[in-house]
Amino acid sequence: MNSPVQIWRSHKNLHNYLGKQGRLLVWTKIFIAPSGFEHQTPYIVGIVEFADKEKLPLQIVDCEEESLKPNQKVKVVIRKIGKVKSEDVIEYGLKAKPL
Amino acid sequence: MKIKVLGTGLTKFGELWDKSLFDLAQEAALEAIGDSHLAVNQIEAVFVANMLSGKLSGQDHLGAVVASNLGLSGASFRIEAACASGGLAVHLAIQSLLSGTYKKVLVVGVEKMTDSPASEITSALMGAGSQTERLAGLTFPGLYALMAKAHMQKYGTTKNELAQVAVKNHYHASLNDKAQFPYEVTEEKVLESSCICTPFTLFDASPVSDGAGALVLSADDEPGSLPAGRQVFISGSAVATDTIDLANRKSLTEITATQTASQKALKQAGVEIKDIKVAEVHDCFTIAEILAMEDLGFCQKGEGGRFIAKGTTKLGGKLPVNTSGGLKACGHPVGATGVKQIVEITNQLRGNLGKRQVKGANVGLTQNVGGTGATVVVHVLQN
Repeated sequence: MNSPVQIWRSHKNLHNYLGKQGRLLVWTKIFIAPSGFEHQTPYIVGIVEFADKEKLPLQIVDCEEESLKPNQKVKVVIRKIGKVKSEDVIEYGLKAKPL
Repeated sequence: MKIKVLGTGLTKFGELWDKSLFDLAQEAALEAIGDSHLAVNQIEAVFVANMLSGKLSGQDHLGAVVASNLGLSGASFRIEAACASGGLAVHLAIQSLLSGTYKKVLVVGVEKMTDSPASEITSALMGAGSQTERLAGLTFPGLYALMAKAHMQKYGTTKNELAQVAVKNHYHASLNDKAQFPYEVTEEKVLESSCICTPFTLFDASPVSDGAGALVLSADDEPGSLPAGRQVFISGSAVATDTIDLANRKSLTEITATQTASQKALKQAGVEIKDIKVAEVHDCFTIAEILAMEDLGFCQKGEGGRFIAKGTTKLGGKLPVNTSGGLKACGHPVGATGVKQIVEITNQLRGNLGKRQVKGANVGLTQNVGGTGATVVVHVLQN
């Protein structure tokens, strides 16, 4: 996403997830990234399941891959997403960290 | 349902620096029309499958481009369903014939990918995923790696079994001079190559490719140029869809759209899965071929890795799969793949594939997947 309006629109529901806890079902450590994420490699992305059974793909931060276990408890946090793009808007979004 | 395959065309797949998107489409189209023994102006409609021409070549409106380059001024359509664009274009071409609107149509699947750097291609392909997946920095290798991890956790599938898919498909590609990688690899080579995302190495993934495939199809009452026994018909064609995002699927270890589309296509064709003698399936990553074996019903759920590793699907085995080399080793020019699968099965059923010919092949199947299974197209072909 590039335009500030697109980013603003996608952020409407983020507050619903802040601090939400869930369990990590599976994860992968990515070495070849899409544009805007190259500077973060390698990084971990997993699928997190919340108590209401909703599932989200989220970057897993503040940990090493070796320390992760299936069903590990995680908590949703707000972090910067990717590189700052052409309109100079710093985009924030959801990630998760182990508890 | 009986749709005649009158002609096939296929370019070399690979890094084709001297050929543009337009050159590739034209080459495959003219080969297919030549093979059909029709004149170009007998083609009544053109169906063009492509995913990325707007992003990577700056060219949209591809239906008109391909038709006008052939000197045609009839109907032309561009069809996009990510990596299932080719299969979907064939499906729609068939519907147009069944409706009686057209009698002879051309399908061209084409993609030109190797002009762009890896990160640009990786981002462009993520157009086939969901917004939440893009925000998480996911890639298609990453998404399929999550499915592989889930399969390993649940069924004990191993990295060696994943590697065996690549080893088999490279062997098949070594017999196909149109393949991007026409050489064999060992299991050690697959396992020792660099990691792209855990648990995948580079050799678990299909490559970035240029290439095109084409088919001339007609209604059954049109005369064909081949003797009765070698004439190939499409007897089943079905499409199914699922959620665009992987996370909210019923299961991470199955592609339900494959199950739905294949059951429908087999029923249309009046055959059962045990009747299939040869298949081309969507092995964009090694785990995808394992899932395809299970979801099509060739083996039990969870057994796909072991089913492939014991050689059942290698040439000479009971059910050769991906004799072209598959997406893995023949190459994966995204829009062309679904068309190429049908070109390969048609030529298997015509019996003209030389060293990679499956003896007695008279019923074949293709499975073409878009995204992580949000679109699946299955075709059944028979003599």
